[in-house]
Amino acid sequence: MKLKSILKKIIIAVPIIYISFLGLVYIDVYDSRPIINLFKNIQSDSALEVVDFSVEKDSLINTKPAPNKDRNPYYGDLHVHTKYSFDAYVFGVTASPDDAYRYAKGEGIKHPLGYEMKLEEPLDFYSVTDHGFYMGMIQAYADTSTDISQNEFAEPFHNLNREDNLTVESAGERSNIFSSVLGATIILPYPDWHPKLLKAWLTKNTQLALESFDYDIHKSAWADIARSANEHNDPGNFTTFIGYEFTTSTDVEGGNLHRNVIFNSSKASIRPWTRIDSINPEDLWTWQDKLRDKGVDTISIPHNSNGSNGQMFEMETFKGNAIDIEYAEKRMRNEPVVEITQVKGTSDTHPLLSPDDEWADFEIMDVRVGSRPPTYSKPSGSYVREAYLNGLTLEFTKQGNPYKFGLIGSSDTHTGAGAYDESNYWSKVGLLDGDPENRGSVPLADENIARLDEYMRAFNQPLSTVDLEQGEYANTGFTQWGASGLAVAWAEENTRDSIFKAFKRKETFATTGTRIAVRFFGGYDMSSIDLNSESLVSESYEKGVTMGADLLQDESKIPEFIVWAQKDKNGAPLQRVQIIKGWIDTNSGRPKEKVYDVACSDGNKVDPLTNRCPDNGARVNITDCSYSKNVGSSELKTIWKDPDFSHTDKAFYYVRVLENPTCRWSTWDAINENPPLRPREDLHETIQERAWSSPIWYIPNPSDVEVIPLGGTIRMRNID
Amino acid sequence: MIGLILYLIDIGLNSYDDKEIYISDQEIISLVTAWKSQVGRNPNDDEIARIISDLVDEEILYREALMLGLDKEDRIIKRRLAQKISFLKQETILKPPSDQELITYFNNNKDKYFVDSTYTFTHYFFSSENDSKENNSKERSENAIELILSENNFDSDPFFLGKSFDRVSLKNIDSYFGDDFSSSFKNIPINKWTGPIKSSFGHHIVYISNKNDGYYPDISKILNKVEIDLAQSKRDKAVEEFLNKVKSEYKVFINPNLQI
Repeated sequence: MKLKSILKKIIIAVPIIYISFLGLVYIDVYDSRPIINLFKNIQSDSALEVVDFSVEKDSLINTKPAPNKDRNPYYGDLHVHTKYSFDAYVFGVTASPDDAYRYAKGEGIKHPLGYEMKLEEPLDFYSVTDHGFYMGMIQAYADTSTDISQNEFAEPFHNLNREDNLTVESAGERSNIFSSVLGATIILPYPDWHPKLLKAWLTKNTQLALESFDYDIHKSAWADIARSANEHNDPGNFTTFIGYEFTTSTDVEGGNLHRNVIFNSSKASIRPWTRIDSINPEDLWTWQDKLRDKGVDTISIPHNSNGSNGQMFEMETFKGNAIDIEYAEKRMRNEPVVEITQVKGTSDTHPLLSPDDEWADFEIMDVRVGSRPPTYSKPSGSYVREAYLNGLTLEFTKQGNPYKFGLIGSSDTHTGAGAYDESNYWSKVGLLDGDPENRGSVPLADENIARLDEYMRAFNQPLSTVDLEQGEYANTGFTQWGASGLAVAWAEENTRDSIFKAFKRKETFATTGTRIAVRFFGGYDMSSIDLNSESLVSESYEKGVTMGADLLQDESKIPEFIVWAQKDKNGAPLQRVQIIKGWIDTNSGRPKEKVYDVACSDGNKVDPLTNRCPDNGARVNITDCSYSKNVGSSELKTIWKDPDFSHTDKAFYYVRVLENPTCRWSTWDAINENPPLRPREDLHETIQERAWSSPIWYIPNPSDVEVIPLGGTIRMRNID
Repeated sequence: MIGLILYLIDIGLNSYDDKEIYISDQEIISLVTAWKSQVGRNPNDDEIARIISDLVDEEILYREALMLGLDKEDRIIKRRLAQKISFLKQETILKPPSDQELITYFNNNKDKYFVDSTYTFTHYFFSSENDSKENNSKERSENAIELILSENNFDSDPFFLGKSFDRVSLKNIDSYFGDDFSSSFKNIPINKWTGPIKSSFGHHIVYISNKNDGYYPDISKILNKVEIDLAQSKRDKAVEEFLNKVKSEYKVFINPNLQI
């Protein structure tokens, strides 16, 4: 009898315990009352488990060049998607991380439409950065031999990328899957009572609570990405980084807050930390901080601020609180560099933000990333130069500077292979934009107009075509995309450690795909250095600071800068070198910016009144894309002293190097038609490829002016 | 004739009553293992009985479906089978390759594993940027080579990537100076000032102080890489080769009058 009553108690107790546990989870997930922190200790954080993914290496150590103490520029791409990304797989991409790394080393790989993609010159480093969110899952839906593919929600994906399904004609269905099916099926939580919910809570792994998610598939995709990176890493000759994309956005307005997370060694967390864990980037930084405590260093790199509707570089936190010093330090600890240029446009500045910059209207993408229908992205808060200025303003009001980042470029290709060359361009989303008609650079054949109509309906785009002088063109928005960009690091040698350290100290620059190289130093005694001396670089390092660093006030001395730029050996000559200065006028508190030409091609001199070089006369023939011979420079160097300097004003200086104009990819597409066409009239015919250095910040001594920090929590003033 | 006999034997051996179901030990064991990995313990007798009866049900339904001809002309089944054979073809070659296979692959792809020559050298640079002045970079470099051999001084320009290069490969040199330069560079004698050599940026005179000749490494030193590459190339080729092998046995008929 006794036994029976115990049994009875158990039978009653088990559901009660279970239900109260669920209650706990419920409060934790939906309420977050602080009392719940008492129970946090029974949770384990699955995203903090560190795994060494290193692979067995051969005994032959490849010869490697000796390190260079004056540093070399290494060119690479830190933003590459393969079949493991949920969207790339839908776009018909079957390239694996191995394929991607082979491409970066110079081998040809296949585009989903069947043609070969190959680099003219191999890259020095590469990182496959698939979306962490649902990583590997769509491939598993499509592979009908997996358990997860047997679910109803997986059916639209079955055999999506079999050879006979890889056609341009499938683009309509694909974009439909992308915009509606993906969104509807992917988040499919188990019912509230389900034990998986409890498991998800106990291991801080929300994705376990989703029916459409298979953790083993997810982990093995991540492990394959890490394995591939480690296998292809060849110290001294070719560097890879384990990485992934943290694809988050704001809940309101769909402001894009995407970032790439790059690991510094062969070790990484057991799984990527994704938007399912949290959509707040501050939580990502917390996770990065914790990983760093465990010996795994990472950086996260924001991209496509241009499509963020002003959310990427806001003047407040994600939750709408005031930015404070703690926030600024945390952000800068984890995000030393920003991707200023990529396929989906360039984020230097916008004509509305920099009306006095004649080069501001450059590869502007003016819609929010992934918006359906395409929706305007507000420029303010979306561009790098304004962010630098806002950073100074925040510092001015004693809130710290969260926008003191360096610059890189990258491609964001979804085919495994970055398209950096205007004359050899395949855009980035596989079957959707792999041919000129679909990306809108040549008119549509009659039979393709109806197909495009269907395709654009899936994108919720009101107008599927535009009627122009040479015919009807696709209105796909891909015309605002381009052949960009590259990340360049100044490092002693081509190794993970050396290049990663360059990112951390922001000694980097960005290019639009060209191999321009640029040195930049600032100091107070730079004019004592002979520009024609062999020791120019080593002396500059000794006497000054370089890109990414701070130049501290030295009484009332005026900063001098050395800039040295070299053209791409296979590209167009240089037209001019500029220094872009931004500062806070201490008297008015206003942010200001100014663009100075500092070196002109062909021995021309800068007009001191306008700060502009004269026209060097270089022109492009847009019927065959040839350009003027013997105009422009192979290298430009100069010493520049700020003519408008005030030693009390916080300021930043960065370099922009401009090539002579060359044909844009859309012009190449048009002239490559048979018979050749004229370029589409509402697009830029030519482009000025360029490079941007990370800034040097001028830091004045702490001023006597007392500033009360903004933002609710006014601190007690220090009364001495 | 032989084909027909083989066919008849085949039928004879495989003829069974289609109402008899044989379940192999292996099939049960694999299901029990799968059950165990899901649940985390061995199934008890009842559970084993249920596993088997589920399997039997499935087999019966499958045979009934076959008798009704439901497998015919079903796109999903066709695709599933086509995909299955693709995976099989890819997987069968995932067993470790034999030594002979590795050696053959290595020999056929030797150039892929060639260890490049490396050079240690220094140079003087004459920038084409200064060509508008009285002397162009070619003339300046021609004068310089004479002056350096007679141990006289001359003016040169700093080169963007530096003056001395330590153990760099031709590939590196190519990316620093351009194609023109690297193709001339290959033929330069060592321990002797040579030039001028043209690059994308101007002219150079060059002194190579050391060269390590490139070589084909011993396969034992790069076994991992060869194995990975071989597996990759097999995966790439497996389905294609299988298709090529059997394609000739098929004839394809399409209605030439079809209107779409």
